[in-house]
Amino acid sequence: MLVKDCMTKHPLMVQPTMPILEAQRYMAENNIRHLPVVGKGKRLLGLVSRQTLLIQPAKLDSLNVWEISRFLSNLTIGDVLVKVKDIITIEKDEAIEEAARIMVENNIGCLPVLEESVVVGILTEINLLSKLMEMVGAQEPGLRVTVRMPNVKGEIAKLIGVIGEQGWGIPAFGGTPAPKDPTKWDAVVKIRDVSKEEVVAALEKVEGQKILDLRET
Amino acid sequence: MENLETPVLQVENLAISYEMRKSVVSAVRDVSFEIHRGEALGLVGESGCGKSTVAFGVVNFLDRNGRIDNGSILFQGQELRGQSQKELRLLRGDQISMVYQDPMAALNPSLRIGEQLREVLTVHRGLRKGKASKRSIEMLKQVYMPDPAAMMRRYPHQLSGGQQQRVVIAISLLNNPALLIMDEPTTALDVTVQASVLDLIAELRREFDTGILYISHNLGVIAYVSDKVGVMYTGEIVEQASVEDVFLRPMHPYTQALMRCVPKLGESKESSQLPPIRGRVPSPTNLPPGCIFEPRCDYARASCQQKHPRLRELAPDHSVRCHLAEEIIDTEWQPPEELIPELTRKVRQEGVGEPILQGEHVKTYYKQESRSLASLLGLGKKRYVKAVDDVSFEVAKGNTLGIVGESGCGKSTLAKTIVGLESPISGKLEFLGFDILPPVSKRDGGLVKELQMVFQNPESTLNPSFTVGRQIGRPLRRFTKGSRKEARKEVIRLLTAVRLDASYYTRLPRQLSGGEKQRVALARAVAGNPKLVVCDEPTSSLDVSVQAAILNLLLGLQEEYDITMLFISHDLSVIRFFSDYVAVMYLGKVCEIGPAEAIYSPPYHPYTEALLSAVPIPDPSADQKSIRLSGTVPSALNPPSGCPFHTRCPRKLGGVCEEQAPPRQIAAEGHYIYCHIPLEELSKMEAVVTLVKQGSTEGGS
Repeated sequence: MLVKDCMTKHPLMVQPTMPILEAQRYMAENNIRHLPVVGKGKRLLGLVSRQTLLIQPAKLDSLNVWEISRFLSNLTIGDVLVKVKDIITIEKDEAIEEAARIMVENNIGCLPVLEESVVVGILTEINLLSKLMEMVGAQEPGLRVTVRMPNVKGEIAKLIGVIGEQGWGIPAFGGTPAPKDPTKWDAVVKIRDVSKEEVVAALEKVEGQKILDLRET
Repeated sequence: MENLETPVLQVENLAISYEMRKSVVSAVRDVSFEIHRGEALGLVGESGCGKSTVAFGVVNFLDRNGRIDNGSILFQGQELRGQSQKELRLLRGDQISMVYQDPMAALNPSLRIGEQLREVLTVHRGLRKGKASKRSIEMLKQVYMPDPAAMMRRYPHQLSGGQQQRVVIAISLLNNPALLIMDEPTTALDVTVQASVLDLIAELRREFDTGILYISHNLGVIAYVSDKVGVMYTGEIVEQASVEDVFLRPMHPYTQALMRCVPKLGESKESSQLPPIRGRVPSPTNLPPGCIFEPRCDYARASCQQKHPRLRELAPDHSVRCHLAEEIIDTEWQPPEELIPELTRKVRQEGVGEPILQGEHVKTYYKQESRSLASLLGLGKKRYVKAVDDVSFEVAKGNTLGIVGESGCGKSTLAKTIVGLESPISGKLEFLGFDILPPVSKRDGGLVKELQMVFQNPESTLNPSFTVGRQIGRPLRRFTKGSRKEARKEVIRLLTAVRLDASYYTRLPRQLSGGEKQRVALARAVAGNPKLVVCDEPTSSLDVSVQAAILNLLLGLQEEYDITMLFISHDLSVIRFFSDYVAVMYLGKVCEIGPAEAIYSPPYHPYTEALLSAVPIPDPSADQKSIRLSGTVPSALNPPSGCPFHTRCPRKLGGVCEEQAPPRQIAAEGHYIYCHIPLEELSKMEAVVTLVKQGSTEGGS
């Protein structure tokens, strides 16, 4: 799973010559929050978000209504964009967890995806969340089981082994360290075409592991 | 699921017109559609219905006299109408790409392939030459070009048609466009090449998530490529829905009629009918006030003449422009009365008649001129293009032999040899027991009269300055002894036989449509009451609805005059529909010959199998095996040794195929396969195409 499999390809982009009044409308109409600004050959010049379009009063010469509207109508995206040197970007062949780390550490909601400084896509929180959804198989019907196990080698193999013996299919599998307990690990497994009783009966055989949660989806 | 994303291309109420000398012709009216990321919209329709005008309009590539009258074109949410040429050029270079029909016209013949690919990157992206080359080679790899690094150094003419189109597609994808407009990109290619280019398009769409506007007149191709389909008729979209809905549950009478008049692969003239659409497409300067399809519609009522129908959404995502769509049930369609005599045919007498035409080991070679000094002095080795190489066949009286194969396989040369336009260098060729090896100029008049030909392009075979009557009358004057008056009467009788009327007698070819010209060519061919007519691709330059009419006419004439036919076509569905016997040719040789139904079911020759799997089928539910031939047809100047097909054969056995000519194997009576693979193994092949029966797909709506 790399950035290029997860990003939105062919994102909406604008030229720096676009007036900001139009950009405001464009973002609202198409329901987008981040807008890469590109020049010739789709080279990244900057980024506009809804915040950048908020004008700081300090920039205005006066608060005269006429002055403000004149000021706004002359303003283009090129004047307000976040410059490319201040933007954090990512290459399309990075792993998505790396992208997630960058976004979390810098507290940002979007990364323009580049290939040799040409915009090939955009990666937002929504893209990552929908990938998360796929990883835990949210769309797949089946039983969702959360199992808590000791955080040692071979535990997952034990669990999978039992499920495998039954001949069940696993459409999705994920896991995290247990909250506030580094010695334990929580695995989320999606199992297809089985009843709750069967799952409980089978998983109880696994030593040292405990079913935390069991629900149908 | 509702798609809330901004579409890549959103066209609304588009109207485009052309300013002509006398009037303004509105070529496209009220066309709306959306294309999302990674989605392919197919626009299908007969020639002159405005498909290409829409494509040109989107990028404002209209001719100088064309203009957009109304509507909006939103690309990625931004209005394209009214943008300056400069802005449009930037968009076209960076985000929209186009692929057109003729790859040779899109490539610069005097520049190497590499140069043309690199140019895109150096001009639009400002990449350095070395880096651009690297990217170009990668892209050529992605479109499956063999040996991409070497290809970069070649000129366009050194590539085959399929490879050229791959290069054009590679160029169009170099900039990673959001929208790709493809206007009949595979029409100029052979079926096998077409199939692999279509596979490539489908794959690249997934890979690049590009939205595609795909334009074609071929229903089969549209069914294969598209997610959504818009059916166009005289500048309007008459039906728009998902590909399954359009092909399996068509609602508009025009769509239904269009589906009916395309022969399905595997249907024969005994088992099915091919009802043509009556009348012709109205001229865009003189459109009927009500529903435009009304004059040709079988369901039309008086009210249809008055009110122009809107495009209504009848089912979710299925819009139809028809007042009566709810009442029309496709499966209960019956041919209108005036069509019935045309469609009912006598059952062909069983039992094979006397062979009327026999060929044995016919060879027609073209001498290849060499420019070397030795050959100037007559010392060089003579080289030949073996266009027809050792072909044997026979045609029984009243039957039709279909000949099928890729371009350059010698179909037309064989036809010309029989008619006497080319002289074979050896072999035996007998017609009615007479030797017809000598060329037509040396043949007896009586023999010429019995052997006529219909050509592919009626445009170039009718004399533009003679009237229709005079041209049809010419064979009469030459072959029969009658007065002028009688000849005139006979010509008018022939005109009615090809469903034209006496008023056509004095017309000139330029006053006729393509279909009408072909009818005149047919009348001329049967005028002398011949025994054998050779038809060389008689319908391939015609629209499908006209094709259906011409095929019916040919069948009718064949019955009426008891004509034996040789029917050449590259279209396997048409061949199957029309022929009793079929010969499959490859590189000048026949590789399989036999009764039509036997050719289209196992055992197959591996080449027949590949051909069948490449036919685009206008039915998205059909199950078709995917066998793609690699490489191109080898040069006939230097054909491979042994079996000519071994260089591309997916079932090649090994050395024996390269060394020995394949033996003739008798699969059934009259069904011969020329292949090294034992018959038992060939019989084990599965059928290439399985059509799901109509009944089982119904009710899913």
